[in-house]
Amino acid sequence: MFMESARAESPSREAPVHLEGVGKEYGHFTALKSLDLTVPEGTSLGFLGPNGAGKSTTIKIMTNLIRPSRGRAALFGIDVRREPTRALARIGAVIETPEFYGYLSPIETLAYAGRLRGMHKSEIESRSEAVLGEVKLREWADHRIQEFSKGMKQRLAIAQALLHEPQLLILDEPTSGLDPRGMVEVRDVIKSLTGEGRTIFMSSHLLGEVQEVCDEVALLNHGELLIRGSVRELSRGAETSTFQTTFLQSPTQADLELLASIPGLEEVKAGGDATVNFRISGGQEGQARILAAMVSRGLKVTTYRPVGSPLEQLYLDRIQESDRL
Amino acid sequence: MTASSLAQVFIVATYEIRKYIRGRRLLGILILVGLIVGLFLGLPPALGIRYATTPNAFVSTFATFASLLVILSGVLFAADALVAEHEKRTGYFLFPNPVRREVLVLGKIAASLIVSVAVISLYYGTAALAALAITGSLTWDVGLSYLYAVGYATSVVGIAYVLSATLKSTVAATVLTFFLFTLIFGIVGAILPLAKIEPWFIPTSASAIIGNVLGGPSLGPGPGGGAGGGFVPDPATSLLVFAAYAIVGGILAILLFRRRELSS
Repeated sequence: MFMESARAESPSREAPVHLEGVGKEYGHFTALKSLDLTVPEGTSLGFLGPNGAGKSTTIKIMTNLIRPSRGRAALFGIDVRREPTRALARIGAVIETPEFYGYLSPIETLAYAGRLRGMHKSEIESRSEAVLGEVKLREWADHRIQEFSKGMKQRLAIAQALLHEPQLLILDEPTSGLDPRGMVEVRDVIKSLTGEGRTIFMSSHLLGEVQEVCDEVALLNHGELLIRGSVRELSRGAETSTFQTTFLQSPTQADLELLASIPGLEEVKAGGDATVNFRISGGQEGQARILAAMVSRGLKVTTYRPVGSPLEQLYLDRIQESDRL
Repeated sequence: MTASSLAQVFIVATYEIRKYIRGRRLLGILILVGLIVGLFLGLPPALGIRYATTPNAFVSTFATFASLLVILSGVLFAADALVAEHEKRTGYFLFPNPVRREVLVLGKIAASLIVSVAVISLYYGTAALAALAITGSLTWDVGLSYLYAVGYATSVVGIAYVLSATLKSTVAATVLTFFLFTLIFGIVGAILPLAKIEPWFIPTSASAIIGNVLGGPSLGPGPGGGAGGGFVPDPATSLLVFAAYAIVGGILAILLFRRRELSS
Protein backbone atom coordinates (compact mmCIF):
# COMPACT_ATOMS: atom_id res chain seq x y z
CA MET A 1 0.00 0.00 0.00
CA PHE A 2 2.72 2.44 1.02
CA MET A 3 4.91 1.54 -1.92
CA GLU A 4 2.12 2.15 -4.38
CA SER A 5 1.37 5.57 -2.96
CA ALA A 6 5.04 6.47 -3.02
CA ARG A 7 5.36 5.54 -6.68
CA ALA A 8 2.39 7.68 -7.52
CA GLU A 9 3.89 10.64 -5.68
CA SER A 10 7.27 10.64 -7.40
CA PRO A 11 7.22 9.37 -10.94
CA SER A 12 9.90 11.72 -12.28
CA ARG A 13 12.89 10.18 -14.02
CA GLU A 14 14.70 13.49 -13.51
CA ALA A 15 14.47 13.10 -9.74
CA PRO A 16 17.67 13.28 -7.67
CA VAL A 17 17.52 9.51 -7.25
CA HIS A 18 15.76 7.17 -9.63
CA LEU A 19 16.37 3.43 -9.45
CA GLU A 20 14.71 1.13 -11.96
CA GLY A 21 14.79 -2.60 -11.33
CA VAL A 22 18.26 -2.38 -9.86
CA GLY A 23 19.65 -5.75 -8.80
CA LYS A 24 23.01 -7.12 -7.83
CA GLU A 25 24.38 -10.63 -7.56
CA TYR A 26 27.68 -11.75 -6.13
CA GLY A 27 28.03 -15.21 -7.59
CA HIS A 28 25.02 -17.12 -6.32
CA PHE A 29 24.25 -14.58 -3.60
CA THR A 30 21.60 -12.00 -4.37
CA ALA A 31 22.44 -8.78 -2.55
CA LEU A 32 19.70 -6.76 -4.23
CA LYS A 33 16.69 -8.23 -6.01
CA SER A 34 14.98 -5.61 -8.14
CA LEU A 35 14.78 -2.24 -6.52
CA ASP A 36 12.51 0.49 -7.83
CA LEU A 37 12.89 3.70 -5.90
CA THR A 38 12.52 7.38 -6.68
CA VAL A 39 13.49 10.15 -4.30
CA PRO A 40 11.95 13.51 -5.20
CA GLU A 41 13.82 16.78 -4.77
CA GLY A 42 13.94 18.15 -1.26
CA THR A 43 13.16 14.81 0.36
CA SER A 44 15.27 13.36 3.15
CA LEU A 45 14.87 9.64 2.82
CA GLY A 46 16.01 7.21 5.48
CA PHE A 47 17.09 3.96 3.86
CA LEU A 48 16.52 1.50 6.66
CA GLY A 49 17.32 -2.13 7.08
CA PRO A 50 19.30 -4.60 9.13
CA ASN A 51 22.92 -5.42 8.33
CA GLY A 52 23.16 -7.26 5.01
CA ALA A 53 19.81 -5.94 3.77
CA GLY A 54 21.35 -4.43 0.63
CA LYS A 55 21.63 -0.78 1.72
CA SER A 56 25.34 -0.35 1.04
CA THR A 57 25.03 -2.28 -2.22
CA THR A 58 22.36 0.17 -3.37
CA ILE A 59 24.48 3.16 -2.40
CA LYS A 60 27.57 1.73 -4.09
CA ILE A 61 25.59 1.24 -7.29
CA MET A 62 24.31 4.82 -7.03
CA THR A 63 27.85 6.16 -6.66
CA ASN A 64 29.37 3.96 -9.39
CA LEU A 65 31.55 1.95 -7.03
CA ILE A 66 29.96 -1.28 -8.25
CA ARG A 67 28.00 -2.26 -11.34
CA PRO A 68 24.40 -3.41 -11.08
CA SER A 69 23.70 -6.90 -12.42
CA ARG A 70 20.51 -5.49 -13.89
CA GLY A 71 18.47 -2.31 -13.91
CA ARG A 72 19.42 1.31 -14.08
CA ALA A 73 20.49 3.88 -11.51
CA ALA A 74 20.14 7.54 -12.39
CA LEU A 75 20.94 10.70 -10.47
CA PHE A 76 19.10 13.80 -11.67
CA GLY A 77 18.11 11.80 -14.73
CA ILE A 78 21.72 10.96 -15.65
CA ASP A 79 22.66 7.30 -15.90
CA VAL A 80 25.41 6.60 -13.38
CA ARG A 81 27.04 3.87 -15.48
CA ARG A 82 26.94 5.69 -18.79
CA GLU A 83 27.88 9.17 -17.60
CA PRO A 84 29.44 8.82 -14.17
CA THR A 85 31.21 12.18 -14.23
CA ARG A 86 28.04 14.13 -14.94
CA ALA A 87 25.93 12.00 -12.63
CA LEU A 88 28.28 12.40 -9.67
CA ALA A 89 28.92 16.13 -10.19
CA ARG A 90 25.93 17.26 -8.13
CA ILE A 91 26.24 14.80 -5.28
CA GLY A 92 28.22 14.53 -2.08
CA ALA A 93 28.72 11.09 -0.62
CA VAL A 94 29.91 9.40 2.54
CA ILE A 95 30.22 5.69 1.99
CA GLU A 96 30.99 3.40 4.90
CA THR A 97 33.86 4.92 6.86
CA PRO A 98 36.20 6.06 4.13
CA GLU A 99 39.91 6.24 4.64
CA PHE A 100 41.83 9.30 3.61
CA TYR A 101 45.40 9.80 2.52
CA GLY A 102 47.34 9.88 5.77
CA TYR A 103 49.99 12.17 4.33
CA LEU A 104 47.46 14.95 3.72
CA SER A 105 45.76 17.27 6.19
CA PRO A 106 41.99 17.87 6.14
CA ILE A 107 42.51 21.20 4.40
CA GLU A 108 44.64 19.52 1.70
CA THR A 109 42.14 16.69 1.35
CA LEU A 110 39.31 19.15 0.81
CA ALA A 111 41.47 21.06 -1.67
CA TYR A 112 42.05 17.80 -3.57
CA ALA A 113 38.33 17.03 -3.77
CA GLY A 114 37.48 20.66 -4.57
CA ARG A 115 40.06 20.91 -7.36
CA LEU A 116 38.85 17.66 -8.93
CA ARG A 117 35.38 19.18 -8.92
CA GLY A 118 36.64 22.32 -10.61
CA MET A 119 36.08 24.67 -7.67
CA HIS A 120 38.06 27.90 -7.57
CA LYS A 121 40.84 28.31 -5.02
CA SER A 122 39.04 31.04 -3.09
CA GLU A 123 35.84 29.01 -3.04
CA ILE A 124 37.71 25.94 -1.80
CA GLU A 125 39.27 28.00 0.99
CA SER A 126 36.04 29.56 2.18
CA ARG A 127 34.00 26.36 1.92
CA SER A 128 36.73 24.31 3.63
CA GLU A 129 36.72 26.73 6.53
CA ALA A 130 32.93 26.50 6.76
CA VAL A 131 32.56 22.71 6.52
CA LEU A 132 35.44 21.98 8.87
CA GLY A 133 33.73 24.30 11.34
CA GLU A 134 30.45 22.47 10.87
CA VAL A 135 31.99 19.11 11.71
CA LYS A 136 34.15 20.56 14.52
CA LEU A 137 37.48 19.85 12.85
CA ARG A 138 38.72 23.39 12.34
CA GLU A 139 41.49 23.12 14.93
CA TRP A 140 42.71 19.94 13.20
CA ALA A 141 42.68 21.50 9.74
CA ASP A 142 46.45 21.38 9.29
CA HIS A 143 47.21 18.10 11.04
CA ARG A 144 48.08 14.99 9.05
CA ILE A 145 45.11 12.63 8.85
CA GLN A 146 47.30 9.68 9.83
CA GLU A 147 46.92 10.95 13.42
CA PHE A 148 43.10 10.90 13.27
CA SER A 149 40.66 8.58 15.03
CA LYS A 150 37.85 6.80 13.19
CA GLY A 151 35.34 9.36 14.43
CA MET A 152 37.44 12.26 13.17
CA LYS A 153 37.75 10.60 9.77
CA GLN A 154 34.00 10.13 9.67
CA ARG A 155 33.51 13.83 10.37
CA LEU A 156 36.02 14.69 7.66
CA ALA A 157 34.09 12.42 5.31
CA ILE A 158 30.98 14.46 5.99
CA ALA A 159 32.93 17.68 5.47
CA GLN A 160 34.19 16.58 2.05
CA ALA A 161 30.69 15.53 1.07
CA LEU A 162 29.38 19.00 1.93
CA LEU A 163 32.29 20.96 0.42
CA HIS A 164 30.72 21.75 -2.94
CA GLU A 165 27.22 22.29 -1.52
CA PRO A 166 25.75 19.29 -3.34
CA GLN A 167 22.10 19.11 -4.29
CA LEU A 168 21.99 15.47 -3.27
CA LEU A 169 23.74 14.06 -0.24
CA ILE A 170 24.20 10.29 -0.11
CA LEU A 171 25.12 9.09 3.35
CA ASP A 172 25.87 5.49 4.22
CA GLU A 173 25.62 5.03 7.99
CA PRO A 174 26.94 8.56 8.61
CA THR A 175 27.09 8.28 12.39
CA SER A 176 28.93 4.96 12.36
CA GLY A 177 32.06 5.14 14.48
CA LEU A 178 31.09 8.33 16.22
CA ASP A 179 30.75 8.79 19.97
CA PRO A 180 27.30 9.84 21.27
CA ARG A 181 28.19 13.52 21.15
CA GLY A 182 29.56 13.16 17.64
CA MET A 183 26.37 11.37 16.58
CA VAL A 184 24.24 14.22 17.85
CA GLU A 185 26.44 16.78 16.10
CA VAL A 186 26.31 14.93 12.79
CA ARG A 187 22.55 14.50 13.02
CA ASP A 188 22.23 18.22 13.70
CA VAL A 189 24.30 18.96 10.60
CA ILE A 190 22.09 16.68 8.50
CA LYS A 191 18.92 18.19 9.97
CA SER A 192 20.15 21.67 9.11
CA LEU A 193 20.72 20.51 5.54
CA THR A 194 17.21 19.14 5.26
CA GLY A 195 16.05 22.56 6.34
CA GLU A 196 17.93 24.03 3.39
CA GLY A 197 15.85 21.96 0.99
CA ARG A 198 18.57 19.56 -0.12
CA THR A 199 17.78 16.00 -1.02
CA ILE A 200 19.22 13.49 1.40
CA PHE A 201 19.50 9.75 0.94
CA MET A 202 20.70 8.29 4.23
CA SER A 203 21.12 4.63 5.01
CA SER A 204 21.02 3.50 8.58
CA HIS A 205 20.11 0.54 10.69
CA LEU A 206 19.09 2.88 13.50
CA LEU A 207 15.40 3.61 13.32
CA GLY A 208 15.61 6.39 15.88
CA GLU A 209 18.19 8.17 13.78
CA VAL A 210 16.04 7.98 10.68
CA GLN A 211 12.97 9.18 12.57
CA GLU A 212 14.95 12.12 13.93
CA VAL A 213 16.54 13.20 10.67
CA CYS A 214 14.35 12.05 7.80
CA ASP A 215 10.86 12.79 6.63
CA GLU A 216 10.53 9.65 4.53
CA VAL A 217 11.59 6.11 5.06
CA ALA A 218 12.23 3.09 2.86
CA LEU A 219 12.67 -0.28 4.51
CA LEU A 220 14.85 -2.88 2.88
CA ASN A 221 15.49 -6.50 3.83
CA HIS A 222 17.06 -9.38 1.92
CA GLY A 223 17.60 -7.04 -1.01
CA GLU A 224 13.92 -6.20 -1.30
CA LEU A 225 11.98 -3.02 -0.60
CA LEU A 226 9.35 -3.73 2.04
CA ILE A 227 7.87 -0.33 2.87
CA ARG A 228 8.16 3.18 1.51
CA GLY A 229 6.37 6.22 2.88
CA SER A 230 6.56 9.26 5.10
CA VAL A 231 7.65 8.74 8.69
CA ARG A 232 4.50 10.45 9.95
CA GLU A 233 2.12 8.40 7.81
CA LEU A 234 3.80 5.14 8.63
CA SER A 235 3.79 5.92 12.35
CA ARG A 236 0.12 6.84 12.21
CA GLY A 237 -0.74 3.89 10.03
CA ALA A 238 1.14 1.33 12.09
CA GLU A 239 -1.47 -1.28 12.95
CA THR A 240 0.01 -2.57 16.16
CA SER A 241 2.19 -1.28 18.93
CA THR A 242 3.60 -2.79 22.09
CA PHE A 243 2.39 -1.42 25.40
CA GLN A 244 3.59 -1.91 28.93
CA THR A 245 1.06 -1.67 31.74
CA THR A 246 1.72 -1.66 35.46
CA PHE A 247 -1.04 -2.78 37.79
CA LEU A 248 -1.55 -1.96 41.44
CA GLN A 249 -0.85 -5.61 42.31
CA SER A 250 0.88 -8.43 40.45
CA PRO A 251 -1.75 -9.84 38.11
CA THR A 252 -2.96 -13.37 38.76
CA GLN A 253 -3.35 -16.01 36.04
CA ALA A 254 -7.03 -15.14 35.98
CA ASP A 255 -6.18 -11.47 35.43
CA LEU A 256 -3.91 -12.40 32.53
CA GLU A 257 -6.65 -14.53 30.98
CA LEU A 258 -9.04 -11.64 31.43
CA LEU A 259 -6.58 -9.36 29.64
CA ALA A 260 -6.13 -11.81 26.79
CA SER A 261 -9.89 -11.90 26.30
CA ILE A 262 -10.04 -8.19 25.43
CA PRO A 263 -10.54 -7.81 21.67
CA GLY A 264 -7.56 -6.16 19.90
CA LEU A 265 -5.10 -7.13 22.63
CA GLU A 266 -2.55 -9.85 21.82
CA GLU A 267 0.64 -11.53 23.03
CA VAL A 268 0.11 -10.93 26.73
CA LYS A 269 3.33 -11.46 28.67
CA ALA A 270 3.81 -10.94 32.41
CA GLY A 271 6.98 -8.96 32.96
CA GLY A 272 7.34 -9.13 36.76
CA ASP A 273 6.93 -6.28 39.27
CA ALA A 274 3.22 -6.09 38.43
CA THR A 275 3.93 -5.20 34.80
CA VAL A 276 2.47 -6.83 31.73
CA ASN A 277 3.48 -6.32 28.10
CA PHE A 278 1.03 -6.83 25.25
CA ARG A 279 0.42 -5.73 21.72
CA ILE A 280 -2.45 -3.52 20.71
CA SER A 281 -3.96 -3.15 17.30
CA GLY A 282 -6.21 -0.36 16.07
CA GLY A 283 -3.97 2.67 16.47
CA GLN A 284 -4.75 5.42 18.99
CA GLU A 285 -8.44 4.56 19.11
CA GLY A 286 -7.54 0.98 19.92
CA GLN A 287 -5.29 2.16 22.75
CA ALA A 288 -8.10 4.19 24.32
CA ARG A 289 -10.60 1.37 23.92
CA ILE A 290 -8.31 -1.20 25.54
CA LEU A 291 -7.51 1.04 28.50
CA ALA A 292 -11.23 1.54 29.07
CA ALA A 293 -11.82 -2.23 28.76
CA MET A 294 -9.16 -3.03 31.36
CA VAL A 295 -10.61 -0.52 33.81
CA SER A 296 -14.18 -1.73 33.20
CA ARG A 297 -13.04 -5.30 33.97
CA GLY A 298 -11.82 -4.16 37.36
CA LEU A 299 -8.11 -4.23 36.64
CA LYS A 300 -6.34 -1.47 38.60
CA VAL A 301 -4.02 0.16 36.08
CA THR A 302 -1.34 2.53 37.47
CA THR A 303 0.68 3.13 34.28
CA TYR A 304 -0.04 2.48 30.62
CA ARG A 305 2.62 3.41 28.09
CA PRO A 306 3.95 2.39 24.68
CA VAL A 307 7.26 0.55 24.45
CA GLY A 308 9.17 1.95 21.48
CA SER A 309 7.44 3.71 18.63
CA PRO A 310 4.71 2.40 16.34
CA LEU A 311 7.19 2.74 13.49
CA GLU A 312 9.65 0.57 15.35
CA GLN A 313 7.00 -2.08 15.75
CA LEU A 314 6.13 -1.82 12.08
CA TYR A 315 9.82 -2.13 11.23
CA LEU A 316 10.31 -5.19 13.39
CA ASP A 317 7.10 -6.81 12.14
CA ARG A 318 8.02 -6.34 8.50
CA ILE A 319 11.57 -7.56 9.04
CA GLN A 320 10.31 -10.67 10.87
CA GLU A 321 7.71 -11.28 8.20
CA SER A 322 10.35 -10.94 5.49
CA ASP A 323 12.75 -13.23 7.38
CA ARG A 324 10.07 -15.92 7.59
CA LEU A 325 9.53 -15.94 3.82
CA MET B 1 31.62 22.77 -12.82
CA THR B 2 33.83 19.67 -12.87
CA ALA B 3 37.46 20.23 -13.89
CA SER B 4 38.44 19.04 -17.38
CA SER B 5 39.87 15.54 -17.70
CA LEU B 6 43.30 16.92 -18.52
CA ALA B 7 43.22 19.20 -15.49
CA GLN B 8 42.12 16.24 -13.36
CA VAL B 9 45.05 14.14 -14.63
CA PHE B 10 47.37 16.96 -13.56
CA ILE B 11 45.69 17.29 -10.14
CA VAL B 12 45.85 13.55 -9.47
CA ALA B 13 49.51 13.48 -10.53
CA THR B 14 50.48 16.36 -8.23
CA TYR B 15 48.83 14.71 -5.21
CA GLU B 16 50.45 11.37 -6.04
CA ILE B 17 53.86 13.01 -6.23
CA ARG B 18 53.16 14.64 -2.89
CA LYS B 19 52.40 11.17 -1.53
CA TYR B 20 55.76 9.84 -2.67
CA ILE B 21 57.61 12.82 -1.23
CA ARG B 22 55.83 12.82 2.12
CA GLY B 23 55.74 9.05 2.36
CA ARG B 24 59.54 9.10 2.33
CA ARG B 25 59.79 6.63 -0.55
CA LEU B 26 61.51 9.27 -2.62
CA LEU B 27 63.87 10.05 0.23
CA GLY B 28 64.66 6.35 0.54
CA ILE B 29 65.57 5.93 -3.10
CA LEU B 30 67.56 9.18 -3.10
CA ILE B 31 69.59 7.84 -0.19
CA LEU B 32 70.17 4.69 -2.24
CA VAL B 33 71.31 6.78 -5.22
CA GLY B 34 73.68 8.68 -2.93
CA LEU B 35 75.04 5.43 -1.57
CA ILE B 36 75.65 3.94 -5.03
CA VAL B 37 77.31 7.11 -6.31
CA GLY B 38 79.37 7.42 -3.12
CA LEU B 39 80.61 3.85 -3.44
CA PHE B 40 81.44 4.20 -7.13
CA LEU B 41 83.38 7.39 -6.55
CA GLY B 42 84.83 6.64 -3.15
CA LEU B 43 85.84 2.98 -3.31
CA PRO B 44 88.31 2.99 -6.24
CA PRO B 45 90.66 5.62 -4.72
CA ALA B 46 90.30 4.01 -1.31
CA LEU B 47 91.41 0.68 -2.81
CA GLY B 48 94.14 2.23 -4.99
CA ILE B 49 92.28 1.51 -8.27
CA ARG B 50 92.41 4.07 -11.04
CA TYR B 51 89.21 5.45 -12.52
CA ALA B 52 88.36 4.59 -16.13
CA THR B 53 89.88 7.07 -18.55
CA THR B 54 87.04 7.30 -21.09
CA PRO B 55 83.57 8.69 -20.30
CA ASN B 56 81.82 5.61 -21.75
CA ALA B 57 83.81 3.23 -19.60
CA PHE B 58 83.32 5.43 -16.57
CA VAL B 59 79.55 5.71 -16.95
CA SER B 60 79.10 2.07 -18.01
CA THR B 61 79.47 0.91 -14.42
CA PHE B 62 76.82 3.35 -13.32
CA ALA B 63 74.68 2.04 -16.17
CA THR B 64 74.94 -1.52 -14.87
CA PHE B 65 73.04 -0.45 -11.76
CA ALA B 66 70.65 1.77 -13.66
CA SER B 67 68.40 -1.20 -14.43
CA LEU B 68 68.07 -2.03 -10.74
CA LEU B 69 67.31 1.59 -9.96
CA VAL B 70 64.63 1.61 -12.65
CA ILE B 71 63.07 -1.55 -11.19
CA LEU B 72 63.15 -0.14 -7.65
CA SER B 73 61.51 3.05 -8.89
CA GLY B 74 58.76 0.99 -10.51
CA VAL B 75 58.27 -1.03 -7.35
CA LEU B 76 58.21 2.00 -5.05
CA PHE B 77 56.32 4.46 -7.25
CA ALA B 78 53.95 2.31 -9.28
CA ALA B 79 53.30 -1.19 -7.96
CA ASP B 80 50.79 -0.27 -5.25
CA ALA B 81 49.33 2.89 -6.79
CA LEU B 82 46.00 1.37 -7.85
CA VAL B 83 45.57 -1.57 -5.50
CA ALA B 84 46.06 0.69 -2.46
CA GLU B 85 42.87 2.61 -3.31
CA HIS B 86 40.94 -0.63 -2.76
CA GLU B 87 42.94 -2.21 0.01
CA LYS B 88 43.33 0.95 2.09
CA ARG B 89 39.76 2.06 1.32
CA THR B 90 40.81 5.51 0.11
CA GLY B 91 38.71 4.71 -2.97
CA TYR B 92 35.62 5.40 -0.88
CA PHE B 93 36.78 9.01 -0.74
CA LEU B 94 38.17 9.31 -4.25
CA PHE B 95 35.82 7.32 -6.51
CA PRO B 96 32.50 9.06 -5.73
CA ASN B 97 34.04 12.26 -7.08
CA PRO B 98 33.20 13.11 -10.70
CA VAL B 99 36.44 11.66 -12.04
CA ARG B 100 36.69 8.87 -14.58
CA ARG B 101 38.75 5.87 -13.58
CA GLU B 102 40.97 6.27 -16.63
CA VAL B 103 41.77 9.81 -15.50
CA LEU B 104 42.85 8.46 -12.12
CA VAL B 105 45.05 5.82 -13.74
CA LEU B 106 46.61 8.30 -16.15
CA GLY B 107 47.28 10.80 -13.34
CA LYS B 108 48.90 8.11 -11.25
CA ILE B 109 50.97 6.80 -14.18
CA ALA B 110 52.12 10.35 -14.90
CA ALA B 111 53.22 10.74 -11.27
CA SER B 112 55.03 7.40 -11.30
CA LEU B 113 56.86 8.30 -14.49
CA ILE B 114 57.77 11.81 -13.33
CA VAL B 115 59.24 10.56 -10.06
CA SER B 116 61.01 7.59 -11.67
CA VAL B 117 62.50 9.77 -14.42
CA ALA B 118 63.57 12.33 -11.81
CA VAL B 119 65.46 9.63 -9.90
CA ILE B 120 67.08 8.27 -13.09
CA SER B 121 67.95 11.81 -14.19
CA LEU B 122 69.62 12.55 -10.88
CA TYR B 123 71.58 9.31 -11.10
CA TYR B 124 72.74 9.86 -14.67
CA GLY B 125 73.30 13.56 -14.07
CA THR B 126 75.63 12.79 -11.20
CA ALA B 127 77.40 10.10 -13.24
CA ALA B 128 77.81 12.46 -16.19
CA LEU B 129 79.17 15.26 -14.01
CA ALA B 130 81.60 12.87 -12.37
CA ALA B 131 82.66 11.52 -15.77
CA LEU B 132 83.21 15.06 -17.02
CA ALA B 133 85.23 15.98 -13.95
CA ILE B 134 87.35 12.82 -13.95
CA THR B 135 87.80 12.01 -17.65
CA GLY B 136 87.46 15.57 -18.91
CA SER B 137 84.90 14.68 -21.59
CA LEU B 138 81.41 13.30 -22.26
CA THR B 139 79.88 11.42 -25.18
CA TRP B 140 76.42 11.26 -26.69
CA ASP B 141 76.38 7.58 -25.73
CA VAL B 142 75.90 8.62 -22.10
CA GLY B 143 72.79 10.55 -23.12
CA LEU B 144 71.55 7.57 -25.14
CA SER B 145 72.07 5.25 -22.20
CA TYR B 146 70.02 7.66 -20.09
CA LEU B 147 67.24 7.71 -22.69
CA TYR B 148 67.19 3.91 -22.83
CA ALA B 149 66.95 3.80 -19.04
CA VAL B 150 63.99 6.17 -19.21
CA GLY B 151 62.43 3.95 -21.89
CA TYR B 152 62.93 0.91 -19.68
CA ALA B 153 61.30 2.79 -16.79
CA THR B 154 58.15 3.33 -18.86
CA SER B 155 57.86 -0.42 -19.50
CA VAL B 156 58.45 -1.25 -15.82
CA VAL B 157 55.77 1.26 -14.82
CA GLY B 158 53.35 -0.14 -17.43
CA ILE B 159 53.71 -3.69 -16.16
CA ALA B 160 53.62 -2.59 -12.52
CA TYR B 161 50.27 -0.87 -13.17
CA VAL B 162 48.79 -4.01 -14.72
CA LEU B 163 49.72 -5.95 -11.58
CA SER B 164 48.44 -3.12 -9.39
CA ALA B 165 45.09 -3.15 -11.20
CA THR B 166 44.84 -6.94 -10.98
CA LEU B 167 46.07 -8.01 -7.55
CA LYS B 168 44.19 -7.57 -4.30
CA SER B 169 46.99 -6.61 -1.94
CA THR B 170 49.68 -3.97 -2.04
CA VAL B 171 52.25 -6.43 -0.71
CA ALA B 172 51.49 -8.94 -3.48
CA ALA B 173 51.68 -6.26 -6.18
CA THR B 174 54.96 -4.87 -4.83
CA VAL B 175 56.65 -8.24 -4.31
CA LEU B 176 55.51 -9.64 -7.65
CA THR B 177 56.66 -6.56 -9.56
CA PHE B 178 60.07 -6.78 -7.92
CA PHE B 179 60.57 -10.49 -8.53
CA LEU B 180 59.14 -10.31 -12.03
CA PHE B 181 61.92 -7.98 -13.08
CA THR B 182 64.75 -9.23 -10.90
CA LEU B 183 64.08 -12.94 -11.22
CA ILE B 184 61.30 -14.23 -13.47
CA PHE B 185 62.07 -12.21 -16.62
CA GLY B 186 65.77 -12.93 -16.07
CA ILE B 187 65.17 -16.69 -15.91
CA VAL B 188 62.91 -16.65 -18.97
CA GLY B 189 65.41 -14.47 -20.84
CA ALA B 190 68.21 -16.91 -19.99
CA ILE B 191 66.29 -20.06 -20.94
CA LEU B 192 64.76 -18.87 -24.23
CA PRO B 193 68.11 -18.78 -26.12
CA LEU B 194 68.60 -22.45 -25.21
CA ALA B 195 65.46 -23.14 -27.23
CA LYS B 196 66.87 -20.98 -30.03
CA ILE B 197 64.38 -18.19 -29.28
CA GLU B 198 65.83 -14.72 -29.02
CA PRO B 199 64.42 -12.99 -25.92
CA TRP B 200 64.10 -9.60 -27.61
CA PHE B 201 60.57 -9.25 -26.29
CA ILE B 202 61.56 -9.72 -22.64
CA PRO B 203 61.96 -6.25 -21.11
CA THR B 204 64.90 -7.19 -18.92
CA SER B 205 66.71 -8.62 -21.95
CA ALA B 206 65.86 -5.52 -23.96
CA SER B 207 67.18 -3.36 -21.11
CA ALA B 208 70.72 -4.60 -21.76
CA ILE B 209 71.02 -1.80 -24.32
CA ILE B 210 71.35 0.62 -21.39
CA GLY B 211 74.86 -0.64 -20.73
CA ASN B 212 75.60 -1.91 -24.21
CA VAL B 213 75.43 1.53 -25.80
CA LEU B 214 78.39 2.49 -23.64
CA GLY B 215 80.40 -0.51 -24.73
CA GLY B 216 79.45 -2.51 -21.66
CA PRO B 217 81.82 -3.76 -19.02
CA SER B 218 84.05 -5.35 -21.68
CA LEU B 219 85.64 -1.92 -22.15
CA GLY B 220 87.71 -2.52 -19.08
CA PRO B 221 87.59 -1.85 -15.41
CA GLY B 222 85.65 1.27 -14.61
CA PRO B 223 85.04 2.32 -11.06
CA GLY B 224 83.85 -1.04 -9.85
CA GLY B 225 83.41 -3.03 -13.05
CA GLY B 226 80.50 -5.43 -13.48
CA ALA B 227 79.29 -8.54 -15.15
CA GLY B 228 77.50 -8.31 -18.48
CA GLY B 229 76.88 -10.42 -21.51
CA GLY B 230 73.79 -12.27 -22.70
CA PHE B 231 71.44 -11.42 -25.54
CA VAL B 232 71.32 -7.77 -26.58
CA PRO B 233 68.82 -6.73 -29.21
CA ASP B 234 69.30 -3.64 -31.29
CA PRO B 235 68.28 -0.29 -29.76
CA ALA B 236 65.32 0.32 -32.06
CA THR B 237 63.79 -3.05 -31.21
CA SER B 238 64.36 -2.50 -27.52
CA LEU B 239 62.74 0.92 -27.62
CA LEU B 240 59.74 -0.58 -29.42
CA VAL B 241 59.56 -3.33 -26.79
CA PHE B 242 59.66 -0.72 -24.00
CA ALA B 243 56.98 1.34 -25.72
CA ALA B 244 54.80 -1.72 -26.30
CA TYR B 245 54.93 -2.76 -22.64
CA ALA B 246 54.30 0.80 -21.51
CA ILE B 247 51.32 1.40 -23.81
CA VAL B 248 49.73 -2.03 -23.56
CA GLY B 249 50.36 -2.04 -19.81
CA GLY B 250 48.75 1.38 -19.41
CA ILE B 251 45.70 0.43 -21.49
CA LEU B 252 45.28 -2.89 -19.68
CA ALA B 253 45.60 -1.16 -16.32
CA ILE B 254 42.86 1.30 -17.31
CA LEU B 255 40.54 -1.46 -18.52
CA LEU B 256 41.11 -3.61 -15.43
CA PHE B 257 40.75 -0.67 -13.05
CA ARG B 258 37.52 0.45 -14.73
CA ARG B 259 36.02 -2.99 -14.31
CA ARG B 260 37.16 -3.43 -10.74
CA GLU B 261 34.48 -2.93 -8.12
CA LEU B 262 34.97 -1.38 -4.72
CA SER B 263 32.94 -3.81 -2.70
CA SER B 264 35.05 -4.81 0.29
